[in-house]
Amino acid sequence: MSTLVLEVIKGRRSVRSFKPDPIPEEHLKLILEAGLWAPSGGNAQPWEFVLVREKQVIDKIRLFSPGLFGDPYALIVLCVNKNRIKRRDESGKQIALMDVAMAAQNMMLEAYYLGVGSCPIASFNKTAIKELLDMPDHVDPVLMVSLGYPEKWPEPPKRRPFEEVVHYEKY
Amino acid sequence: MRRWCITRSTEELIKDEHFKLLAFLITSARGCVEEPHLYGSLRLVDAASKLIDIMRSEGKTSEELEKLQKHIEEGKHLLMHSEEDFIKFLDELVKELVKIVKKS
Repeated sequence: MSTLVLEVIKGRRSVRSFKPDPIPEEHLKLILEAGLWAPSGGNAQPWEFVLVREKQVIDKIRLFSPGLFGDPYALIVLCVNKNRIKRRDESGKQIALMDVAMAAQNMMLEAYYLGVGSCPIASFNKTAIKELLDMPDHVDPVLMVSLGYPEKWPEPPKRRPFEEVVHYEKY
Repeated sequence: MRRWCITRSTEELIKDEHFKLLAFLITSARGCVEEPHLYGSLRLVDAASKLIDIMRSEGKTSEELEKLQKHIEEGKHLLMHSEEDFIKFLDELVKELVKIVKKS
């Protein structure tokens, strides 16, 4: 089983060119469910996920998202629900961002497992997206994941060598 | 005297390629405040490619510009792989542009 997980982790690519084919609803649901099962600090689960499938809405989001490449079938906008981290200080707010990032990674791995390409996007105007998607004050969009069947799976980018990155017992 | 067309609906406007480029430029300008500095270069070459799309729709492109756009589309994501290769790619684009200018 561990080999399979590592294969999925190593196989996932950031896809920026998509086919127009629709993703089945049940697969989209599985991808979202993978996000729900991410770890979070104090089990706060400070996230909200907005699934956008309507092309017209995606086109409007694109106007404010320079980091959105290609024509994805769907977008998931991952948000922090500030009501769920009310008692946290500044570092606690950073933890909420890490929580959302882990949820995004879960989603992208599940997507890859289902043959769906994805790409995490942080380059978008948060104020504009919040307005466009009618988000209340206490909900802030922080990350998007584009989803669609890839035109092609990109080659893996270079990775820093294991020995350079990993330190045993001390730095 | 310059004329304005003021009867366009919002629906029409947001489908207009010029407007899309305008939104891209303004949003990118804001994004560049916090993003890694080379993302600014990425946004500019991406905007150049979008501009070539507009020029094509207006019958203003040429074989050289088509080639330049192909080069941009093939190379713009190099930034996600290697900053060094991305900068080389930018140099190549400038050289390609100089060739076009020298030919004219």
